Amino acid sequence: MTDGQSFLQSPIGATRGWWDDLETEERNTIVGLAVFGGLLLAATAVGILNPTYLLYLLTLAGMFTLMTLGLNVQWGYTGLVNFSVIAFWGIGAYSAAMVTAERSPLGWELHPVWGVVVAVVASALLATLIAVPTLRLRADYLAIATLGFAEIVRMVINNERAYTNGSAGIPGIPSVAEWVESPDLVSFLTIALLVAVVYLVLRRAQLSPWGRVQRTIRADEDLAQALGKNTFRFKLQSFVLGSVIMALAGVAYVHLITPLITPTGLEPIRTFYVWIGIILGGSGSNRGAVVGGLTIVAIRQAPSFIRNQLLNVPAIAPYVSEINVGALRLFLVGVLVILIVRYRSSGLLPPKREHIWSKTLEDRS
Amino acid sequence: MNESELDYEGGDLQKEDPLLRVEDLRKTFGGVVAADDATFAVERGSITGLIGPNGAGKSTLFNLISGFYEPDGGAVYLGDEEITGMRPDQIAQKGLIRTFQTPRKLEGMTVRESLLVAPAGQRGESLLPLWTSPSSVTAQEDELLDRAEDLLSFFEIDHLATEPSPELSGGQLKLVELARAMMTDPDVLLLDEPVAGVNPVLEEKLAEHIRRLNEEQGVTVLLIEHDMEFIMDLADPIVVLDQGRVLVEGTPEAVRTDDRVVDAYLGGVAE
Ligand SMILES: Nc1ncnc2c1ncn2[C@@H]1O[C@H](COP(=O)(O)OP(=O)(O)OP(=O)(O)O)[C@@H](O)[C@H]1O
Ligand SMILES: [Mg+2]
Repeated sequence: MTDGQSFLQSPIGATRGWWDDLETEERNTIVGLAVFGGLLLAATAVGILNPTYLLYLLTLAGMFTLMTLGLNVQWGYTGLVNFSVIAFWGIGAYSAAMVTAERSPLGWELHPVWGVVVAVVASALLATLIAVPTLRLRADYLAIATLGFAEIVRMVINNERAYTNGSAGIPGIPSVAEWVESPDLVSFLTIALLVAVVYLVLRRAQLSPWGRVQRTIRADEDLAQALGKNTFRFKLQSFVLGSVIMALAGVAYVHLITPLITPTGLEPIRTFYVWIGIILGGSGSNRGAVVGGLTIVAIRQAPSFIRNQLLNVPAIAPYVSEINVGALRLFLVGVLVILIVRYRSSGLLPPKREHIWSKTLEDRS
Repeated sequence: MNESELDYEGGDLQKEDPLLRVEDLRKTFGGVVAADDATFAVERGSITGLIGPNGAGKSTLFNLISGFYEPDGGAVYLGDEEITGMRPDQIAQKGLIRTFQTPRKLEGMTVRESLLVAPAGQRGESLLPLWTSPSSVTAQEDELLDRAEDLLSFFEIDHLATEPSPELSGGQLKLVELARAMMTDPDVLLLDEPVAGVNPVLEEKLAEHIRRLNEEQGVTVLLIEHDMEFIMDLADPIVVLDQGRVLVEGTPEAVRTDDRVVDAYLGGVAE
């Protein structure tokens, strides 16, 4: 220990002290991310991975991270089950597309700022609409209602052609690509900034009395009520906040990633990717939600990337071309779920100390 | 059932200054009548005991009083105000705090943090002030931290402050639960079996703590307990419940020697 003391004087020592303080899960995650990041950089350096593609992947990961952060508020903080994740994403994406796109049936062509405003208001209103009647009932009712809501949103978008263009979708959404020199970098930086802001806001909320009540509700709603907390109000706030963040992810998608939105983007399976993300990351942990968001994108993109690489190898190309990427993706997700359940049922980065406000850990005696 | 049991008209409502009154409370679950026109009152400043054989309906009464169950009939008054049909959180905010028969642990919280949850109407429980007036939120948090510290030392569990609450023993959880309830500064405490599964040394301490809360802080206590020695020593008067009905109410001595009470307990065992 005395050695450690003298080490603390130097920067290396300080780093070492920080490392020693980490929990095993934190170290493993850092090592894992460093290795993965190193591989990506190496692949980019030797030219296997195109830098534009790398930036695209990171931007996509940022978007998924917004969704995992949103779901983490609902499920991780409060324990609310939401199977409408992709529907709220779609509400955000369509709100932005409908009011800003040149070829939107509405033809308003408003500034993207209005897209954000409409997305926030619409998602907040619709979240309230499904939460109010179900939150007072047993927990399962919200789950069922959100499952139905996701389908309703998809059907409405598919059929209300006068507003949404139906299955053809809305193209020509104003994109950063139209305004800047290097759209990939700007898209990435924008989403990184958005993720950072949302992360900080959620962290403040999590470590506040508000977050404390949410965690109490998740652990034991009766106890929260017995202590005088209006749990309905808290659950409603959590549900709306999470849903608005999901809608923001949808807005980010159409302006920063793909200037086209169609109803196929609202496939229910994507909701479950987000769920896998937060379960993998560690329910309740914002950091875990970020790791989960990255992992989802890795899993979704890796099969087609690797397949394309292998197609360049003439010897095995004929066999590789037989591989069905969609099926492989699902297979990988299945394997991942089994591995999590078997070895890491509380996720890669379970909240543990992250939840606990440092003042409640101080020695005050 | 014998004659004298049927004669009994319910509990004594003629208190000098009743803080909590329960009138003809009724609750059925299918065919089970868990509360059968139960009537009694709790005098302000008293420690009132509630006893009865297993399944007599004691916890059901707590749930009815605290708003967790909706009564099929009857009324509950806190002071002059009728609280029947209010939500549990509304009743809690009026100063009536209950504990649960099985102690509740708060996953992922330290003992100290689980105490901080309790006080009602904290500024930081609304989202906006977290950013618009962070200093007032922090100031209130610091006050609450001091208050939590005082209570932790009052209950002699300050050494557990930073302990994760799921790792506590049953007896420690009971102490934490009491401390948490006191964080809300209640007028009435409803304690459901506060010493069940607690070792005799700690049991003694708990009795002492409850007595001090009552004497020093003027908290009115209604408590359920199967441990006869504990409750006879601590509570006066004692209300005896059997099959959802108030059977007898009186001093510990009177209750101990009452034939109907003996019958109720023996009957309960024989069934
Ligand atoms: N939520 C419920 N649903 C159905 N029956 C219930 C419910 N709550 C209580 N009961 C029934 O009501 C009766 C009274 O139960 P209660 O828990 O109030 O008894 P108690 O006096 O607290 O017993 P114990 O001393 O064992 O805690 C029992 O027959 C019980 O099975
Ligand atoms: Mg009971």
